[in-house]
Amino acid sequence: MEHTEHSIDPVQEQQEHIQRRTVLQAAIGVGVGLSVLSTLYVGVGFIPKVVVTPEKEPVKAGDILVWAQGAKAGQEITPADLQAALKSDPPFIIAYPKNPENNVVKNQLATNTIMVMQLEPSSLSPETAKYAAQGIVAYSAICKHLGCTISQWKNNVWHCPCHGGEYDPRQGAKVVAGPVPGPVPQLPIKLEGNRIVATAGFLFKPGADV
Amino acid sequence: MYKWLDERLDLQRLNSKLFRKAFPVHHTFFLGEITLFAFVVLVLTGVFLTLNYEPSIREVTTPDGQKLPAAYASILYIDSLPFGAVIRSLHHWSAHIMIAAAFLHMIRIHLSGAYKKPRELNWLVGIGLLVLAIVTAFTGYALPFDNYAITATKIGYEIGAAAPWVGGLLVNILFAGEFSNTNTQMIPRLFSIHVLWLPLTLIALIGLHLLIMVKQKHTQPKYAERVSPGKILGVPALPSQGIMAGILFLVYVAVTTLIAGIFLAHPVQAYGPPTANTPAVKPDWYFLWIYGILQMIPSNWKFELLGATFGPQFWGGIFVPTLIILGAAAIPFIDAQPHKQRYLELPSQHPGRTSFVIGMLMFYIMATLAGYKIDLNLPNALLWVLVLFVPILTGVVAYVILRAFYGKAPQEPQVGGLQGSAADD
Repeated sequence: MEHTEHSIDPVQEQQEHIQRRTVLQAAIGVGVGLSVLSTLYVGVGFIPKVVVTPEKEPVKAGDILVWAQGAKAGQEITPADLQAALKSDPPFIIAYPKNPENNVVKNQLATNTIMVMQLEPSSLSPETAKYAAQGIVAYSAICKHLGCTISQWKNNVWHCPCHGGEYDPRQGAKVVAGPVPGPVPQLPIKLEGNRIVATAGFLFKPGADV
Repeated sequence: MYKWLDERLDLQRLNSKLFRKAFPVHHTFFLGEITLFAFVVLVLTGVFLTLNYEPSIREVTTPDGQKLPAAYASILYIDSLPFGAVIRSLHHWSAHIMIAAAFLHMIRIHLSGAYKKPRELNWLVGIGLLVLAIVTAFTGYALPFDNYAITATKIGYEIGAAAPWVGGLLVNILFAGEFSNTNTQMIPRLFSIHVLWLPLTLIALIGLHLLIMVKQKHTQPKYAERVSPGKILGVPALPSQGIMAGILFLVYVAVTTLIAGIFLAHPVQAYGPPTANTPAVKPDWYFLWIYGILQMIPSNWKFELLGATFGPQFWGGIFVPTLIILGAAAIPFIDAQPHKQRYLELPSQHPGRTSFVIGMLMFYIMATLAGYKIDLNLPNALLWVLVLFVPILTGVVAYVILRAFYGKAPQEPQVGGLQGSAADD
C-alpha cells in the first residue's frame, strides 16, 4: 500500500510540473504587472492637486470690477476712469473681479483677466448692447488663440500682440483679423452707482481654445 | 607612473583601440564638435547659474525696497555678481550657438549623403538631439520670470496644450498644472526639467551619438578616395585631433565670451516682472518660422474629432513642425541603398538633393519672414505664396543652375563598388 502511494506515474508528474509552472508564471506576471502599475501611480504626482482658493474662483454674478494693475490696482473702476482711459493708450482698463462678500480680488486665475471699455452706445450691435451698460463693455482678456493677454488697441479694435488676432468689441468680439479660432466671451455687466458689476459669469468658456 | 596605470588599466590597448582612431580632417567636420563645445559651456555656465538662482515665485524685498518674485530678483542678483551678467549671457548665446551648430551639422550630413546606410540610426539620434536641445532651451525661457519670458512661455504652453488628446496631460506634467503667474509649482518644475532631466537625457543621447560614430567611423571625405582609395584616411584622435579640438574649444570659449561681453542677453530689468500687459514678443530665431506659420493659418481651419480640437494652433504649432521632423527622419529610408556608404558625396553631383536642401532653407526663411507679418504689414495671401511657391521655385532654379554648371562636367573617378550611386531624394 505504501508503495502505491508513493509511486507517481510519469504523465501525472509532467502534468503537475506544468501546473506548477503555470502558477509560477502567473505569480511572476501579476507581480511584474502590479509593480509597473504602482510605478505608474507615482506619475499621478506629476499633476499637482488643484486647490481653489478664494483668489482663484472664476468671475460670477455680483463681482465688482477693479483695476488689475497700476497705481490704482485693487480699486473699483468707475465710469469716470473709463472716460479718462479713452485718452490713454490703450484706451481701456484691464480688470479683475472682486468678490463683494469677502472683498477678495480674484487675481490668481488667468481667465479672470477682463478688459473693460467705454464705447459709443449706438455703435454696439443689439446682442452686445444687451450685456453692456451705457456703452461699457467687458470681455475676457485672454486671447482665444494661444492665451496671451490681448491688452492692445489697434485699427480701432482689440489687438493681441502675440500673433495679431483682432476682435471687434462692438460686435461681440467678432474676429476681424488673425489666426484666432473664435471670439472671446463677453461678461454681462450693469452699473450700480459708480460700480461696474457682473450680472453673470462669462457668456461662454474663456481662455485659449485648445 | 605610466607603468603603474598601464598595468592596471591596460592603457596601451586603450591607446591603440580608441586614441589612435583615424579622424578624417575636413573643416565642415567641426560643426558637430562646436555643438558639443556649446553644450559643455552650457553645462559649466549652468552650474554657476543654479548656484545663485532661486527657483521660486515667492515675494522677496530687494535691498532697495522693491517687492519682486524671488526668481526675477535672483536674476538681478546674478547680474550684479562679478562677471555674472557675462556668464548668464554666455549661457544664453551658447544655447543659440548649440542649436545653430547642430542645424548646420545636420545640413552638412544631408548635403554630403552621410546619412546613408549604415548611418541611418545616428541620423535619427541626431534629429532627436536637435529637437531635445530646442525643448531644453524652451524650458529655460520662463526661469528669469520677467514679463517677456512669461508671455513667450505661455504661448509655448498653449501650443503644447493644442496637441490632440495628450496635450492637456503633457502641459500639466511639464508646467505643474495650469500656466499662471501665480502657480507656485510651475517655476520649480520647469527648473528641475531644465537643469536636470533634459540635460541628463541630452548627455545620454550625445554619448550614444558619439559611440555609434566611433563604431561606424566617419564617412571619408572625397579627397580620401583620390589619395588612398579603400583605406581609412585621417589623423589619430590623440594627439593630433585632440589638439585641434582643444584649440577649437578655446577659440569657441574666447569668441562666445567676447559676444557675451558685448551683447548682454535678455535684459530682465527692461521687461520687468510679469504683469497683465502683453509685451510685443518675438520668439528666438529657431522658433520664428513656427511663429510665422501660426500667424498665417486662417482662423476657420478648425474641426473636432473624438473629443480633440484641431484648431489653427494645432496646424501651425504642432502639425507643420511634426511633419517636418518626420520628413527629416524619413530621409535615409527614402534615399535607401543596399551597400554601405564609405565616401562623402559632393553636393554638386547630387543636384536633386542639393536643390531640395536649398528649397527647404528658403521655406525656413519665408516662414520666418511671415513672423514679421504685423511689423511689415504683409497680407496673408502674399505670405502663402511666399511660403509655398518661393521655396519650390528656388529649388527648381537651383536644380537648373546645378545641372548647367556641373551636369556636363566629367564625373569624379569612380572606385569600383565603393562609391554610392547618385540616388537623389
